Amino acid sequence: MRSYELMVIYRYDMAEDDVRAAVAEVEKVITDRSGVITDTDFWGKRRFAYEIDHMTEGFYAVITFDGDVELQTTLDRSLGLLDSVVRHKIQRLVK
Amino acid sequence: MANPKNEKKRRRRPELSPKKKRLVHKFGEEDVVDYKDISLLRKFMSDRGKIRSRRVTGLTPKRQREVAMAIKNAREMALLPYTQTKQ
Repeated sequence: MRSYELMVIYRYDMAEDDVRAAVAEVEKVITDRSGVITDTDFWGKRRFAYEIDHMTEGFYAVITFDGDVELQTTLDRSLGLLDSVVRHKIQRLVK
Repeated sequence: MANPKNEKKRRRRPELSPKKKRLVHKFGEEDVVDYKDISLLRKFMSDRGKIRSRRVTGLTPKRQREVAMAIKNAREMALLPYTQTKQ
């Protein structure tokens, strides 16, 4: 098991409840694949430092979790396929 | 005989500039540079959004690498700008 930190940016035109539901879905994927969520931080709507695909803001969420490498790769791949996700980043936490 | 014209033209030795103040930030031994800590990373950027050189920041090579990496990560997530014009 390794510690990871995942940051996801969702589209600005989603309802906040939908974004929270989407975050919960990601959490479910993690726990279903024997991952352990240590912390979830929902930042809410934030302005981008620059324009991305004609969008100027988005919803940010940060999830810290422990999981296997396979979980990290599947998460990385599936998040990249979602249209609701503008960008995402998974970082290994070194301790 | 000193010619007043030549006297004027003669270059003056540039005065030694006083040692410039470095942007000193004390990192603790256990500190990890986090790409989410935007207010900290801003200190290591110019007004235009460029990463300040080690000569300016006065950081150790290791810390400078960590800071530069964190800024680049923050840029990818649109937390910090790639370029910025002065307001």
